[in-house]
Amino acid sequence: MRALRIAATGMAAQQLNVETISNNIANMNTVGFKKQRAEFQDLLYQNLSRPGAQSSDAGTVVPTGIQLGSGVKTGSIYRITEQGTMTKTDNKFDLAINGRGYFQIQLPSGDTGYTRAGNFSVNDQGQLCTVDGYLVQPQITIPQGSTDVTISKSGQVQASISGQTTPQIVGQLQLASFYNEAGLDAIGDNYFLQSGASGAAQTGAPNLNGMGGLLQGYTEASNVDAVTEITSLIVAQRAYEMNSKVVNAADQMLSATSQLKT
Amino acid sequence: MDNTLYVGLSRQMTLRRQLDIAANNMANVDTAGFKVEKLMLQTDPLSPSGVGAGSLLGPVKYVIDDGVARDFGQGGLERTGATYDVAIEGDGFFTVQTKDGPRFTRDGRFTVDAQNRLVTKAGDPVVDASGSGVTLDPQSSPPAIGKDGAVTQTDIHGQVNKVGKLSAVRFANLSGLKKEGDNLYSSPETPVAANDANIRQGMVERSNVSPMLEITSLIDITRAYERITQMMASNQDLSKSAVERLGRAA
Repeated sequence: MRALRIAATGMAAQQLNVETISNNIANMNTVGFKKQRAEFQDLLYQNLSRPGAQSSDAGTVVPTGIQLGSGVKTGSIYRITEQGTMTKTDNKFDLAINGRGYFQIQLPSGDTGYTRAGNFSVNDQGQLCTVDGYLVQPQITIPQGSTDVTISKSGQVQASISGQTTPQIVGQLQLASFYNEAGLDAIGDNYFLQSGASGAAQTGAPNLNGMGGLLQGYTEASNVDAVTEITSLIVAQRAYEMNSKVVNAADQMLSATSQLKT
Repeated sequence: MDNTLYVGLSRQMTLRRQLDIAANNMANVDTAGFKVEKLMLQTDPLSPSGVGAGSLLGPVKYVIDDGVARDFGQGGLERTGATYDVAIEGDGFFTVQTKDGPRFTRDGRFTVDAQNRLVTKAGDPVVDASGSGVTLDPQSSPPAIGKDGAVTQTDIHGQVNKVGKLSAVRFANLSGLKKEGDNLYSSPETPVAANDANIRQGMVERSNVSPMLEITSLIDITRAYERITQMMASNQDLSKSAVERLGRAA
């Protein structure tokens, strides 16, 4: 009975859907997190009677044909890279990107990681780094004895040093952007790597040539919307239940057959 | 006498197929742009008639499935807010250029590829009625897609540029469409532009499977199957007791 296997594909798909939703909900408070969505597609169809096939010598054709579907599959888990809301933190090393772009981070492996999570700190040498201590590229060093740090919308970092009247420019932040952000390879810890699908990184100063501007003292909240996620969760749960009903129905029919007296 | 069994068998076979189709509908209850299907049944035109002309025995009528009907009704539009999600409101399909030729879909969950073209999740470019695709400008704002499908971007100088067009196409004979899987259809027919269909950005068309109807038809199918099995069983009993009685009389 084909229905059993078809219902199994439906249940497997909904299970994956629930897993994706639960990952979104778990990361509701992760800075810079982008929600994901499981996308389903119908599986191949078996042609029992092909539409358009000739049904007689007089040239009549089968108007619809019989195409039997074989269930559902996961086409992709797509990352929706819409802007998250800005949360005010008043921490001078917290940066949020308003618009397109990613911060570039020097990973210990030597690769460049990309992230939207701008909750940075400084290390013992005064270098701007992530919460893991990985350095932000290009490197910014805040001189010792600085009383305040100002980061402009276009990424210029200025430090006020005690005893000096004018702030000193200590660096310029750069962002990277990709043609297909959804194609980036997520490696956890809020980092992404460039992939064949994302295209090559194009770097540039913030707030210029389509790149987003920086906001100091803010972090970008995750773009997960609790209400949407809960609604999707209900839909997924019900869909799972319905597919299990099909398994039940198929089982009942099979048992009716096997109880036939010979 | 055996005719009852064969008629019953023909019904059992169609019921199983009906269940397969209901199962496929339900497996795709969350598949964007999916259209619900139903098996069409008819009396087998090749059913043998009763023996001899003027016979009191009527013809034996088997049941046969002669096609799958699809309901191309609009699925519910769900707001996702994603830039590259588009849905068609009204009749029509998006055209996708695959390596096997043009394919048609109602699933408008697109994305951009590494060459900055608007593509499906399988990486096939989305094209308009004339066959030209959409290439976005990475330096400009995220694209805005109008109701008529015009894709525009605002560049850094505030200038609005048209970078392409999405268009809906339609067919004279919808039942000639063949499902190819991956939410795609193919058609031997050349489509015409469907200018009255609205294109909505940030929306996804849900599957038009109605869970209520499907569950009801599921109950229907199981019960009908049990009934016909019961009928076959009592027919068996009948022939058994007939043999026993006739045997005794002799």
